Amino acid sequence: MTSVQRQRASSAAQAALLRVDDLAKSYGGVHAVAGVSFDVPRGRITGLIGPNGAGKSTALAMVAGAIKPSRGSVLLNGTNVAGWPSHKIARRGLARTFQQSSDFSGMTVTENLLTAPYGQRGDTLRGALLGRRYWRAEQESLTARAADLIERFDMARMANEFAGTLSGGQRRLLEIMRALMTEPEILLLDEAMAGVNPALGARIEDYLLQLRQDGLTMLMVEHEMSVVERLCDPVIVMAQGEVLAEGTMDQIRSDHRVLDAYLNG
Amino acid sequence: MFLHAIGFGIVTAAVLALAAVGFTVQFGITNILNLAYGDVMTAAAFVAYVSSSAGLNPWWGMVFGGLFGAVFSVLLNRFLYTPFIRRGARLFTMIIVTIAVSLILQNCLQAIFGPDFVSVRISAGATVRVLGMVFTATQLIVIAIAAVALAALHGLLRYTRLGKAMRATASDPALARNCGVQTRWVIDGAWLLSGLLCGLAGVALVTELGSFDFTTGSVFLIPVIAAAVLGGVGHPYGAMLGALVIGLATALDATYFSPTYQDVVAFLVLIVVLLVRPQGIFAEVASQKEVAA
Amino acid sequence: MSLAWSFYIATVLVYLGVDLMACWGLNLQYGYTGIVNFSFIIYQAAGAYTAAVLTLGPQTAGSFQQYVGGANLPFPLPVIAGGIAGGLLSAVVGVIALRRLRSDYQAMVFLVISLIATAVVTSDVGLFNGPAGLSLIPQPMSTALNLSLVGYRWFYVGLTAVICLIVYAFVWRITSAPLGRSLRAVRDHEQGAAALGKNVTGLRMTSFVVGGVIAGISGAVLVEFISAWSPGAWLYQETFVLFAAVIVGGTANNAGVALGALLVPVAFLEGSRFLPQFGPPGLIDALQWVAVGLMTLVFLWFWPRGVLPERRRIIQLPGQQQARTGLQRPVDYEKTAETR
Repeated sequence: MTSVQRQRASSAAQAALLRVDDLAKSYGGVHAVAGVSFDVPRGRITGLIGPNGAGKSTALAMVAGAIKPSRGSVLLNGTNVAGWPSHKIARRGLARTFQQSSDFSGMTVTENLLTAPYGQRGDTLRGALLGRRYWRAEQESLTARAADLIERFDMARMANEFAGTLSGGQRRLLEIMRALMTEPEILLLDEAMAGVNPALGARIEDYLLQLRQDGLTMLMVEHEMSVVERLCDPVIVMAQGEVLAEGTMDQIRSDHRVLDAYLNG
Repeated sequence: MFLHAIGFGIVTAAVLALAAVGFTVQFGITNILNLAYGDVMTAAAFVAYVSSSAGLNPWWGMVFGGLFGAVFSVLLNRFLYTPFIRRGARLFTMIIVTIAVSLILQNCLQAIFGPDFVSVRISAGATVRVLGMVFTATQLIVIAIAAVALAALHGLLRYTRLGKAMRATASDPALARNCGVQTRWVIDGAWLLSGLLCGLAGVALVTELGSFDFTTGSVFLIPVIAAAVLGGVGHPYGAMLGALVIGLATALDATYFSPTYQDVVAFLVLIVVLLVRPQGIFAEVASQKEVAA
Repeated sequence: MSLAWSFYIATVLVYLGVDLMACWGLNLQYGYTGIVNFSFIIYQAAGAYTAAVLTLGPQTAGSFQQYVGGANLPFPLPVIAGGIAGGLLSAVVGVIALRRLRSDYQAMVFLVISLIATAVVTSDVGLFNGPAGLSLIPQPMSTALNLSLVGYRWFYVGLTAVICLIVYAFVWRITSAPLGRSLRAVRDHEQGAAALGKNVTGLRMTSFVVGGVIAGISGAVLVEFISAWSPGAWLYQETFVLFAAVIVGGTANNAGVALGALLVPVAFLEGSRFLPQFGPPGLIDALQWVAVGLMTLVFLWFWPRGVLPERRRIIQLPGQQQARTGLQRPVDYEKTAETR
């Protein structure tokens, strides 16, 4: 272990909700991610930035279970979930958004929210066949929770519209709201601001800050530097499949290796 | 016995190659599995039947059949498939569309020509011995026609503007359009060509089989798709290789194992490839060749 | 009403009931879960053969039909067994063939499976009597009830109606429960559903097997009525007819699908009986199929979502006024054929 690793291990051990160690992915001979290690501390918004092709989205996908890592570990609250299928990791309290919004376009906004929580009574074959009386009560409380979210995020007008008719930004917001319905421990955001108009983007930023105040841990892969500046601390920089630097935005900005990486792309 | 099987396999492979290459070109250009393809083959065969019944030399039937295939396919794509795609049809919807066309075509043929078997009267001709294998003169002509057609296609793809445009459009339509490739004409040209191959294959098939009915083409479609998928859909050279493999495998299976189950070879190949490696076994080899050319 | 008419209408009603159940089962798989099950007909056949064999009794030495198994079970056991058979076959096929494939490849896989099944049963005479199929299957309770020919038909209509209602109750419970939403989530965005903790493979299998059970039941009900079943009756075209019914009527909408079942298999295919016989035999059948094909194309063009498209389920939120009704349709949840 290098001194950096020892330092990180001792001090940050308690504060890290998510800890990634030597995570790597190669396709044939190509190393998309060449072994990255970082911590995502509790209650903060950690940014993951880097030039195109740095491997950020691949790393995120590995953490979420969408891609199987070639090696490495992903400790979520102390449990190594590396290589687990994504639905099992999700059940452990990890929620995520996708680069191209994953909202269920054939269902309404409210239905999208109601379908989110795991382990609902009417969600198994047996539960469904037992009929409304079996699952109705739980659905009513979930509906109340969904209504609260809709109220809070100002989506009341769209509550019963098909998700597919929403604008790009609204769909992203819906994705985030849906993730919140699962009451996650950590929320992974994959380029959440991509394709969102600035006004709605600013609203989303406010919501994210509110969520941080409520104590939600977040990890965001993001391209827009201004967003990262306003929201993220700490920030991790990746380039060419490796972690280049870590620290606050100021530290990152003045790190010459980071500037080189962006210039050389 | 072995050589006999191989010989039989080569003839089958020749017809299969014609059909599979045509099928794969259509897929490469338009990205839809055209399940009406087999029935266009049958229709072309019926065109040949009509021409030979009218007293013309049966080999003219091949010409007419090929022409019919070409024209019908272009029109089919222009006036049915492309409009549906433009309208935003999903991939599965397109399969339903092609199956609908297949049903319409097949049953129109039945309505017109009746349910009985008919045949295009081409005499088998003298038997010829080649390398220890026995062929009839007609079979050799069929193989020759297939070889010539495929060689011509190869030449077209490699050396002509249309061919290069087709390959460009098949691998990246948006980029091709940006480079000024007239996609509309390229697509029409591709369907014309593949339709020609389809028609030729249809007539060749019924020549080889002796007699046929309105279902013959659609039954043959499964080995055709199997060959195309085996070679990687959209890759003509892969389809030729796939046709060879399936032609030989079917012949060997029919000779040594169970004649009743010979179709099963093609079924199993198709399923296994789709489930295990949908991009095809030869896709890498084939695509490298294309990129290099 | 003349006896002949009465006989005919009763027959059509039974067919309608069978097709309704089949369409609901297929709709569960395709409309709700997005599984393009082009092998649907074989689960119906599995149910039919199982019910037939369990009603025919064991094969006797001099009998002209060969088959496996055999018992003389009273109604409704053969129908239940038919459902189980459909479910079992679905489970086996599902494990092998349900993959993350683009939808047309997946449809091809299922289509080829159904072709293999047809080929195997047709060739292997020992299994289910080969291409001749099974016949002379005794109709349920016919000796016990001792009704007239027409009377028995109407009795069977009642029987079919009851079974239909039971099947519909099951389908309704599944689709209106949170499970129904989870299935639609898998349909709309598989990865998104997984990211919410849903076991996509498990949900798909559940839908597939339940649909298979329903298919088996519908096959059993049909075979007990028409007393015969052969491989010629279950070619891939039959699956196409059911898909056409679901698509024309309206996917993911059970009422729409019911309408489709009425329009396509019943009105179209049966309705042609009323045309005067013209031309050589087989001409009308061929033209029927041409008509079905054309109708499918026309409906797919003008009403791609069906006559009764998927309804928007409006949920009354606490503390809000009456929910607005809008006229939107769901946006496509699958890539169009144009994108690659």
